[in-house]
Amino acid sequence: MTTIPFGPRRDDDALMSKASELPKDVAPARDLWPGIAARLGEERRATAPRSFGWPMALAAGLLVAAVSALLTWGLLREPLTPADVLAGGDAAPAAVVPVSYGANSALGAEQLAARDALLVEFQSRFAQLAPETREAVLANLAVIQKAADEIDAALARDPASGLLNELLVGTYQQELQLYSKVVTARDGTTRRT
Amino acid sequence: MTGLADVQTESEPERVARARGGDAGAFESLYREHVGRVYGLCLRMTGQPATAEDLTQDTFVSAWRSLPGYEGRSSFSTWLHRIAVNAVLAARRGPLGRNETSLTGEDGEDMELAAEAVMDEATPIDLERAIGTLPAGARDIVVLHGIYGYSHEEAAGMLGVAVGTCKAQLHRARQLLRKRMRMEAAT
Repeated sequence: MTTIPFGPRRDDDALMSKASELPKDVAPARDLWPGIAARLGEERRATAPRSFGWPMALAAGLLVAAVSALLTWGLLREPLTPADVLAGGDAAPAAVVPVSYGANSALGAEQLAARDALLVEFQSRFAQLAPETREAVLANLAVIQKAADEIDAALARDPASGLLNELLVGTYQQELQLYSKVVTARDGTTRRT
Repeated sequence: MTGLADVQTESEPERVARARGGDAGAFESLYREHVGRVYGLCLRMTGQPATAEDLTQDTFVSAWRSLPGYEGRSSFSTWLHRIAVNAVLAARRGPLGRNETSLTGEDGEDMELAAEAVMDEATPIDLERAIGTLPAGARDIVVLHGIYGYSHEEAAGMLGVAVGTCKAQLHRARQLLRKRMRMEAAT
């Protein structure tokens, strides 16, 4: 332990000097290599070549932002009304498949668990939407999926990029916002009986 | 694949070259050599051993993927640290973030322990523990500049902030550290 006998004569440089003497290496409590090796093995099996580049990833981020803006504008301008509600038919639409984030996208299990919780309510609300509205929602999800794929591909080559990681988080947030908008736009979304 | 024992006598550039060619044994050797520094950085930036373990694994997986693009312009260790810092920052920016240990809010006044501490509270105050009480921005610069020896310019580049911001955060960190240690010494 590096204890500093802190007192009035101790100056800041001494503080940083002590900091520089702290051990640089800290051993984790367990061997992390087996988990890494398993993930590397999965990578080898997923050998599909990727051809997306930085420009595509940036374009994907911009596209997601534009689509999100349009969706927001549409939902705010015309809140869902009974006309948006399924007019009839009891056949429930297929469950929406959430956006899949690639192996290079460092989204934590906690984040994805939060999305899963939101998805439960979203799926319920989605089933009550008019077919045209469902199609619009699915089209938006497809755009977000495309952006996620392209950002993931770019991250494979440049995992240290702060901008790419910001684009990734932004894309994930757009997905959550899409679900949230559908869940919270409650006016007129109740299925008529 | 080259065995771990076979590559341990090779130089780091040789092992990096082998790993770039897909040799997992060479990469494991690099992992064994650098995991302590990467984990130490992640642990000090997050204050959470479990999160630091996850981020350390993420760092090495990301490094493996991007090895073909590593041109050796910086040391392998620095390159790994950049990836690790980005992993930590990305985790923080996530919608939920990751719980971190801090004894203070951004205003530096909140003394409540926010999460499980790296060192238990029975541990006498020392510099390591005091650093762990800093708010994230101040802690980051103390870890990168103070402990790992990166210049303000290097640290600013890793953190994606201005050099002036780094210096201001370090000044703030020094003030908070002095305050923490003075308070602890008085009790």
